[in-house]
Formats: sequence, structure tokens, C-alpha cells
Amino acid sequence: MDPIFDDFRKGYAEWDGYKVSQTLTPIPPASNPQKLYNFFRSTNFATVQKDFKYQLVYNTTPFKLPADEANGWVEVYHAYWKAVGEILNAENAPRSSTKGAWIKVYDSWKELINALIRGYSNHGFEAWTVPCLYVAGKFLRIFAIKADEGTGTGNGAITSFQDDFNPEAEKNEKLEDAARQLNRIFQICLADREPLDESRKWGIYNIINLLFKTYFKLNSISLSKNILKAIQAYRGDMPTLESFPKAHQVTFKYYIGVIYFLEENYVESEKNLTEAWQLCHKDAVRNKELILTYLIPCHLLTTHTLPTLALLSPYPRLQKLFLPLSRCIKKGDLAGFDAALVAGEDEFVKRRIYLTLERGRDIALRNLLRKVFVAGGFEEAKDPAAPAVRRTRIPVAEFGAAISIGSKETMDNDEVECLLANMIYRNLMKGYIARERGIVVLSKGGAFPGTGV
Amino acid sequence: MSAAPASSAPPTTKATTADKSVDSTKETKPAAALEEDDEFEDFPVENWTQEETEVPGDNTHLWEESWDDDDTSEDFSAQLKEELKKVEASKKR
Repeated sequence: MDPIFDDFRKGYAEWDGYKVSQTLTPIPPASNPQKLYNFFRSTNFATVQKDFKYQLVYNTTPFKLPADEANGWVEVYHAYWKAVGEILNAENAPRSSTKGAWIKVYDSWKELINALIRGYSNHGFEAWTVPCLYVAGKFLRIFAIKADEGTGTGNGAITSFQDDFNPEAEKNEKLEDAARQLNRIFQICLADREPLDESRKWGIYNIINLLFKTYFKLNSISLSKNILKAIQAYRGDMPTLESFPKAHQVTFKYYIGVIYFLEENYVESEKNLTEAWQLCHKDAVRNKELILTYLIPCHLLTTHTLPTLALLSPYPRLQKLFLPLSRCIKKGDLAGFDAALVAGEDEFVKRRIYLTLERGRDIALRNLLRKVFVAGGFEEAKDPAAPAVRRTRIPVAEFGAAISIGSKETMDNDEVECLLANMIYRNLMKGYIARERGIVVLSKGGAFPGTGV
Repeated sequence: MSAAPASSAPPTTKATTADKSVDSTKETKPAAALEEDDEFEDFPVENWTQEETEVPGDNTHLWEESWDDDDTSEDFSAQLKEELKKVEASKKR
């Protein structure tokens, strides 16, 4: 009858969940752009259930599905068929009515999700078919975003008459609903009690990643914590993350890394992002760029290191983002650093890295003070045989002068002392301020820890 | 049969070919529009070997120290002395 059922039977015979899942994609293959249209036209509302039943329940070549399971799949393909009808309709809808059309697509796709969830909970769908949930979940998000996009632009006139109109809530209505549906899928994967070999738990990280993407888009990143708590509670009977496909691992580690980053837990963030970086497919340039967008500010704060040109060379966008700041940090150019931070502000804020990069100013200042120390040279040696000792007593005014290079105003000694005290407190500089004499006495054994002087 | 996708090659390669056909069609537009965000992209394949990743041992030349000793030349000393004079001069006034 229809190639979709041929593919389903083939995938089913081979226990190939990915192959089965491809029969539920809402995108026709390039080789057969009419596939969805033909599928939709292969039957009609009156006979669709009977036709599909014939295909899945009564057709016994080359094998017979268990009746209950087969009936579950009939429901799934019935829902899919209706959704395909809505998709074809939305794609051909005149501009004025696209909004409503995509909402219908979303709602019909949600019915497909419902049919699948029923399949797993009531009709004994087997765990190896979980990729069907990946495909259904992935497009649920995409259709939700499309439906909400329409809501934002058109047809605001009607809703704005209502007193309690909340544009924010309205804007993401479907995406928020999608998050709830994905959460249901998450639950049916997590709560599966079958032995691990036959468990839907193997679908868990793919679904979690879809949830993370949705929460980030909704700006409800804190909800990700609930997911993490839930898998933490089940960690005893869960396969380890390392045993999942790398695509699931890398995406998961990226989002975890960013979540820690936003919580300013830079050590954990760096750990997860570094692992994501190392596991990432080498050709996935955009994803590597995203990982580095957060890994670079992490490195700046945790190890005070900067990306080399070699690291940045494949990523022009990252060069633009980080090179001006990096140069100023290296030179200890505070005025330049401030200017670069202002120049990149919009982009930094959008990427949520502004506050972290701002803290890089301490490193720029450390480098500047270090330059003053190095420029101070060495004490006159009493014993020419002894190793040379750097001048460790430095007037506060010298540091003050260095700070005012490049800026037009000079800084009060009090303010300079405040900056220096902060450096000492952060262990970026070792020594003490002798206030009454107006000098800083730096440690003879490593005045600037970890920098070789 | 195990439900574990693990590293078993056959389902992976099948998913690959199937997914590729997905990516080459027009409906990927919404995904492209989302790229403006921090949205992590779907990988075209589910799994890959160690050889297809960044080499972990290769990471040493990717990060460098934040200070630059080459720059600590006579220039800076001269600049600093100049600035000190300026600051002191302005204080005397």
C-alpha cells in the first residue's frame, strides 16, 4: 500500500528503532518529495483506521505483530496521518491564516505524542523503538516554536481587548506546553522497570537534551535542575552516561556545563565543557564554537589562561568575540579592556558571558601590576655571587601611575590601595601594604603566584 | 535484542543515512533560524569513534598564559617613569 508501512515492517523486522522512527518524520526525503502528500492521499478520513488496521494488524507478511501492539501502532499512524494533513495544509496556507494552521499542526502532532505514550504504557511497545520518541519530541518543539511565532506577530488585535492579556505568557504558550509533553516522555523513559537491556532508559538523555533546549529557549533554565534531581535519584539503575551514543553525551555535557556556568560554578562548568569539547565530533564546527564560547571565559577565571590563536583560528566569530579582550588582558591594558568590554557588550550579554568576562579585569590588572614589578628590576646585590633578588618594595604611587596610563584621570592613592588589597585578597598578588610609608612590600618567593615571578 | 544503542555500528549507520536525508530538505529552515541562539545543533550521526573527535592530548597548545613577558620591555619602564612624573607634577600644583 504505502512505502511508509513497508519501511515500518522492514525496520521492525530488523529491530532497528532508527529506521522505524524515520517513518514518523514530518519531512519527506529529498529522493521522494511527494512522499507525505502521497501518504496522505492514500486514504481518507472515513477509511483511514480500517486501512491502517489492515496494514498493521491483519497483514501477516513477512511476520505478524502481536495484536495489542499492532493496534497501538494503528493509533500512532492514524495520528501521524492527521498531522501530515495539517502540515501539508499549513505549508500551503495563505499568509493570513498560517498562524492558525501551525497551531493545528502543533495540536495534531501532540496527538501523535499521546498515541506513542499510550503505545509504551498500554500496548507494549518495545524499548528498541524509542527513537520514535526522539523524532516525535524533536518536531513537537519545532512545531511549538512555529505556532508561537505566528502568535507573536499576527492577530494581536483580538487578544489585546482582554484585560488580563499577558503578552509574555501568550508568546510561548505552545512551547511551554511542549515542555510539559516532553516531560511526560521523560517520565515514561525514566520509570521503565524492565531490565536495562530492554529499557526505555536508553532514551533518557536524548529526551533530557530536548528538554534542556526547550528550557533554555523559554528562559526557564532553573527547571533543568528538576531533571537533574530526577536522574540523580535513579542513578543506581541507570546506564552510565559513557554508555550512551556520543551525540547524547556531548549535548548533555554542553548543557550541564552552561548551567553550571550560569550558576558561576566555573570549576564544574569547565569540567563538563572540556569533556564535551573532547568528545565532540571534529566536523561539528558550530557546536564546538558554542562549547568554546563558555569554555574560554571559564578558563580565564579558573586557570587564568587564554585561548591561543591556534585554538581560535577555525572560528572567526570567536576571534571577534574574544581576541580584543585577550590582547588587553595580556598587555595589562585596563583602559583597552574596558573599551573592548563596552564594544562587545551586546554580544556578551546575549551569550550570557558578560559578567564572567568582566571579572577578567582582575587578570588584566594583575598583569599590569606584574609589569610594574618586573620593570622595577633587581636589588643591588651585596654579594655578587648570590642570585639576583627583585626589588620587592614598590611605592604605591608607582602602581597608581601604571593604572592611570592610558586613562585621562589619575587615581587617588586610597583607591589604588583598595585595588591592591583586593588583588592580595584574591591571591593574585602576595605581600602587604605598608600604609604609613606608602609602599607595597611584595613576597620575595613569588610576588605574583603562578606567573614565574 | 538489546535496546542499548551503545556503540553497535549497524543501527548507527542506518540512522546516519536517514538523518542526512532529513537535513537536506527544506523543512530544516526552522532549525536554521534557531541557530541565532545558543542552541546546540543536532549531530548528523548518533555515534562516532575516538578518531573522529578532537585529540585530547592535543589540548596543550590550545591555551596559553595570560601575561606577556615579551612586552615588558624598556618601553614600559619609560612610559611608567613619564606617567609618574606627570602624576607628581599634578600633585604639586
